[in-house]
Amino acid sequence: MSLLRVENVSKQFGSLIAVNGVSMNVEPGELRAVIGPNGAGKTTFFNLISGFLTPTAGRVTFDNEDITHMLPARRVWKGIARTFQITEVFPELSVRENLRVPVEVAAGHRLSPWLSADDDGEIRARVTDLMDMSGLADKADRLVGELSHGDQRATEIMMALALKPRLLLLDEPTAGMGDQETYDIAQLIRKLHKDQSLTIVLIEHDMRVVFHLADRIMVLAEGAMLAEGTPKEIAANETVQAAYLGKAAA
Amino acid sequence: MTQLILFNVFNGLIVGAFYALMALGLSLIMNLSGVINFAHGGFLAVGAYLAYSLIPYIGFWGGLIVAPFLTAFIGLIVERVLIRRLYGRDPLYSLLLTFGLAFMFEDGTRFIWGAQSLPYQVPGWLLSPLSSELFFLTGYRLFMVLIVAIAVIGLFLILGRTRLGIRIRAGTLDLETVSVLGVNVRILRNLNFGLGIYLAGLAGVLAAGMLGLQPTIGSSLIMPSFVAIIVGGLGSLPGTLLGGLLIGVASGITTVFFPSATEAVMYVMMAAVLLVRPHGLLGEEGRF
Amino acid sequence: MNPIDYNKYTATVIVWLLLLTMPFWLPAIGGYSELGTRVVVLGLAAMSLNFLLGYTGVLSFGHAAYFGLGAYGVGLTIRYLVPSTGVGIVAGTLIGTIAGAIIGPMIVRLRGVYFAMVTIAFGQVFFFIAFRWHSVTGGDDGLTDWSRMPINLGFTTIDIQHDARAFYYLVLVVFAIAVGAMAWILRSPFGRTLIAIRENERRARFLGIPVDQHIWIAWTISCCFVSVAGALYALLNNFVDPRALYWTQSGDFVIMAVLGGMRSFWGPLLGAAIFVVLQDYLSSQTQNWMSFVGLFFVLVVLFFPRGVLGIIKRKVAS
Repeated sequence: MSLLRVENVSKQFGSLIAVNGVSMNVEPGELRAVIGPNGAGKTTFFNLISGFLTPTAGRVTFDNEDITHMLPARRVWKGIARTFQITEVFPELSVRENLRVPVEVAAGHRLSPWLSADDDGEIRARVTDLMDMSGLADKADRLVGELSHGDQRATEIMMALALKPRLLLLDEPTAGMGDQETYDIAQLIRKLHKDQSLTIVLIEHDMRVVFHLADRIMVLAEGAMLAEGTPKEIAANETVQAAYLGKAAA
Repeated sequence: MTQLILFNVFNGLIVGAFYALMALGLSLIMNLSGVINFAHGGFLAVGAYLAYSLIPYIGFWGGLIVAPFLTAFIGLIVERVLIRRLYGRDPLYSLLLTFGLAFMFEDGTRFIWGAQSLPYQVPGWLLSPLSSELFFLTGYRLFMVLIVAIAVIGLFLILGRTRLGIRIRAGTLDLETVSVLGVNVRILRNLNFGLGIYLAGLAGVLAAGMLGLQPTIGSSLIMPSFVAIIVGGLGSLPGTLLGGLLIGVASGITTVFFPSATEAVMYVMMAAVLLVRPHGLLGEEGRF
Repeated sequence: MNPIDYNKYTATVIVWLLLLTMPFWLPAIGGYSELGTRVVVLGLAAMSLNFLLGYTGVLSFGHAAYFGLGAYGVGLTIRYLVPSTGVGIVAGTLIGTIAGAIIGPMIVRLRGVYFAMVTIAFGQVFFFIAFRWHSVTGGDDGLTDWSRMPINLGFTTIDIQHDARAFYYLVLVVFAIAVGAMAWILRSPFGRTLIAIRENERRARFLGIPVDQHIWIAWTISCCFVSVAGALYALLNNFVDPRALYWTQSGDFVIMAVLGGMRSFWGPLLGAAIFVVLQDYLSSQTQNWMSFVGLFFVLVVLFFPRGVLGIIKRKVAS
């Protein structure tokens, strides 16, 4: 049974068709990469899944429930968390506080005027766990806005993870990073995927990362699906090579 | 009774035309620069008083033509010296700045021209009623409607046909792209501000003839202009025009049946519109 | 205790010491008792506004409306219903809070300048009601023929009516409760969601925070506190008129918050103190004090956008 089912979704802005009848099924525990040239509609496609935009046609189902028109916050409660192409964090708060917000939301405390000592202890422990997992522990009290790009990215991923999602959407997690940072983030994603068998969909430009991590790959071009398959199949696919990999290599 | 209603509807239409003229200027500035110009009412008062002071020298028609341009010129300077510094910062700051300017304008006009109401000379032939049946249709009222109509049509022609207007509209949609395409955004915003202030000045000159001249003339017209923008649709100029006329007429009709609610009715309309269409009658979702 | 917490703790102690002893030192530096009470009352209003402005990142320019409703609430209650200061404060607060809660859903979908504009415009509704409903509110002349009542605690009666110092301490007690509640909320999980919204609304939304709902609650809380301030303001003057509801009053609150420092808890109180003293001085010196207040706005925006405490914080940090 697929965890996420996207059926024939389209999104039109005026006369521009950004996404045109794309379908995708993601199985539990799968790591799916979405690739494609710039302007292929990858981010728009992501936005349709996370609720940032609603499709003009088609249907999105998560865990057998139709979420096509559900508000973003509700989708989060159902278990869909995401990161953004341009890092979205709380810049004037510390790493600890950045993580504390989603941990409290996930624990059902978003409207609480107070916490019991037990709850508070649990939340602190969970925040510490998340920081340890990502190597952010020694920067716990630094403001996130002052951290390196890589650490900000890592913070954002851990914030999404703090929600205990069943599906994690990562929009170009390694964008703008150097080799070492890219490697670190890729290792972090791999760890989440393998150790917690978390279902992940990611958009990525760095082909080394994609072929290293993905179970399956979907290729978008000009808003439509060009191909779909295992990394091996995609690497061997001539249409993809012509339309995308060829261009990237040239 | 019919005549009373007609009178008030017509009256409302005229008042609405003022609101619209004011609100169009406010909208222009807000859409391109993200600034709520609280001092808009102040500029209106300046326009009115300038016309008052000029009329003895250059006559009614001269005042009507020159005063709005002078007001716009003051607007260009204010934008250049003060408001320009605040673009790209939290909108809070431009709000507070224009708020302070509004105080200074109101007090300044009081200081220069005095707190008492001043008589405003309109040519005699414009004041006589057109017919005894429709006693309220004085020439001046028709004349005002005509001028407002010309101004509004002129504005839409400028925005639709001239290079400046097309750039303003493009800038409203996507300022970054316009700037990348080589348009000087600073000058564009400056001229756009001047255009908005010109409309305020014109509204002032016309309003003085109808409402009389007092320092609070501007602050009494600015709130309805806000309501016109909200009702008509945030970000939409035709919406602003529609909003102004609608609330004017609604107030006019209310005057007949429930005079003490004359001002309140526009706010009730605003609440109703916001409940049904949060972005106003002709506003677009997702513009802000 | 880390240095930041230590600084906050010190600031809180200093503020409370100054407030508690104000009636004793204020006359010595040329102030009068009523001025001190006004600072505390308007400081509470500015802090309530800052709950939205500085901590939720929402730009309200219409807080005078709820301030004024609190003021009329207490005045009307004492004048027509129950001659009791306590009941009046509660009634004024309730009226302001309920009005805020009702207006809330109509405005929470808007942001930035549009939010500001709609909040101002809605505020005007209440202004016109107070202005036009002459038979009840006294219209433009204001609501007169009432005054604050002595407070009967059973075993003793506090004469806040004639003893200005006793009234100051009553105001300070109410202030303490309101400010304490505000600080409490800001430290709670709910308070953290508000700061999260200020920091990055998009991120907050995609962390499962229904932003509009949270802003609505924050707005209502803020309206509640500002109407408490309004009620105290009416008691201070034994009088209310429509100017308490007028949009220029909202602007005063905003400038107080900005002047003191929006990002600090006590900033707006400091801003209120500076503003009240300045206005008091200017209006005694010149007829054209409005121009000077306007000029003051312009100067604050151009030269002190971070506010007094913002500047001090920066100096300390560097």
